Amino acid sequence: MKRDGTAQAPARLAPLRRRGLRLAAAATLGAAVIWWAAYPVSGGGGGTRLMLVIAIAAGAMSLAQLAVTATVTRHPDGLTAADRIAAHATGLVMMLPWAELMTVAVLVLEALHSSRPWHTAVLAVALTGYLLAVHLAETDAGASTLRALLPLLSAGLGLTALSVGSAALPDLPAGPVVTLIRIGAVALAAVAAGLAVPVWLGRGQ
Amino acid sequence: MASPAEPVGTRHLPLRWGLSAYARRLVTLVLAGLIIAIVTRRAEFAGLTAPALLMLATWRPDRAAQLTVRVSLDTPTAVEGTEVLVTVELYGQDELDARLTVDPGDHILAGTAVVVPAGHSRRVARVALEPTRWGRRSLGVLVITYTDRYRLAEGRAVLELPEIQCRPLPAGLRSSIVLSRLPSRLGEHPARSTGDGGEFAGVREFVPGDRQRRINWPATTRHGTVHLTTFAAERTQNVVVIADETTDVGDPGSTSLDFVLRGAAGAITRYLAARDRVGLVIFAGRLSWIGPGQGQRHHQRLLDLMMATPGGWERAVGLTRLPRAALPPGSLIIVFSPLLDPRLIEALRDVRERGFSVIVVDVLNSEPGHEGSRVSSLAGRLWRLEQEAIRFSLTQIGVPVVHWDGVSSLDEPLAPYTRRVLVAHR
Repeated sequence: MKRDGTAQAPARLAPLRRRGLRLAAAATLGAAVIWWAAYPVSGGGGGTRLMLVIAIAAGAMSLAQLAVTATVTRHPDGLTAADRIAAHATGLVMMLPWAELMTVAVLVLEALHSSRPWHTAVLAVALTGYLLAVHLAETDAGASTLRALLPLLSAGLGLTALSVGSAALPDLPAGPVVTLIRIGAVALAAVAAGLAVPVWLGRGQ
Repeated sequence: MASPAEPVGTRHLPLRWGLSAYARRLVTLVLAGLIIAIVTRRAEFAGLTAPALLMLATWRPDRAAQLTVRVSLDTPTAVEGTEVLVTVELYGQDELDARLTVDPGDHILAGTAVVVPAGHSRRVARVALEPTRWGRRSLGVLVITYTDRYRLAEGRAVLELPEIQCRPLPAGLRSSIVLSRLPSRLGEHPARSTGDGGEFAGVREFVPGDRQRRINWPATTRHGTVHLTTFAAERTQNVVVIADETTDVGDPGSTSLDFVLRGAAGAITRYLAARDRVGLVIFAGRLSWIGPGQGQRHHQRLLDLMMATPGGWERAVGLTRLPRAALPPGSLIIVFSPLLDPRLIEALRDVRERGFSVIVVDVLNSEPGHEGSRVSSLAGRLWRLEQEAIRFSLTQIGVPVVHWDGVSSLDEPLAPYTRRVLVAHR
């Protein structure tokens, strides 16, 4: 403690560097998701710019929410004007589920563009990664906690690829390429089922 | 009720399960993706939800309804600004990760959450907290959050943490004031009289009965008669610290009461470390005191008294006269006060008239706020003049008043009195 009565965060208490890295990872993924969904801005329909602004604002607020959660808690010694403003700002940041709002805004942003299945598939990967990064940043859990989720993630991404492939099928000309894609789709479905079913059966253990 | 095999202090808490924030986000992603897929008739949006849907499919409804936990503190007392470790032992639910967060009480600083990974039937975690202001403090509320393997469900249990006695951070003080006349008790301060101490006092001629081992051979050779080396006697002194708790003015964390307690704790610690006999008088709504004594246990008693006595303005009869039992003759009296209570000023005059050596450490570092009008400015000037008059009147009766800002070491304001012995005069 400083001699003027104010306090400093104990050094041992705050592994802030690790939390900072996780926050940076979430911020990078969030920015990438928004950029990917909005690209190209001129190619979107009406309301693309508005939705982009909403997505950016929600993304920024979700990061602020994570930062507030990561900050060392301290009860103010008194209720000065600065304390009250800080309390109101914190309340505003914590009031809404900003990450969920950003997710919805990003999906709407993608939907405002014309159909582009593979682009959407990449967005699915990035969005899932962003949600995991936010979860790790807010719970301070280690990356090893994702090990249990890996089979499910793999299966889910396989299914995404499958659905995207089926969405792209009408655009493809008939011939051996389409046959190959169909065979690939069946194989992916089998792999996805093979990964997901054991996990689902063993979820109670 | 705890079974006989469980450690003492074990508690069973109900676990309340609900969707985790991560699961809520997955649900949002799934619902939004499916709605957009239906509305826009684009299958890729349904495919986008596949990873989230698969992860949500691992939801299981049956979960443990109770948590067994044991909480203990590493120390029942702490000093403001130092860490207190809370040891949390979790029993059972070894397949689930746990996260410990503290919603801290007033004037308690909590760190970030502590994650306890799954793996053992008994898991121990330590949560560090820091009380930032003295007093009896509730440490806050411990929130234990269990997270399932797939991060979908969270079970929360809430536990009230115990209270802790937080003592003021002692002000830095390396030097000490020593009186010129010390009582006849063995101690560590060199006195004016000769004795068996270690400090050189002088050389005198030998008289029958003196110890031969103290013969000063150079002086004996020079004078032709036997001379001895004499040493100063080593004495202890009685120090009485008076803490004025009647007023508490200033900004939180650096009020006059904060400075009084920190200064008094610093003086008590310093003089007890110098093997002096130290007593304490708490001048508050009522008088409390402990006579001079020595030792670690006495130190604890003095600090406990400092914490136990409530401050206040209540009027009490006889406060202008300190009890004789609290002030042994010849004591050095060190007063920590903002000098705002006229009863204390009167008591100091009385103590000085009784022949004690008194020094006042003035801890007043704030002034009454004024609105900027001419009248309030005039009132402020009058108040300052009155304060100056009080301090001047004390100086005139032989009570030095030194100002301490509460930030620097106490050595700085006390330097004029610690460099040489303080002449005790009646």
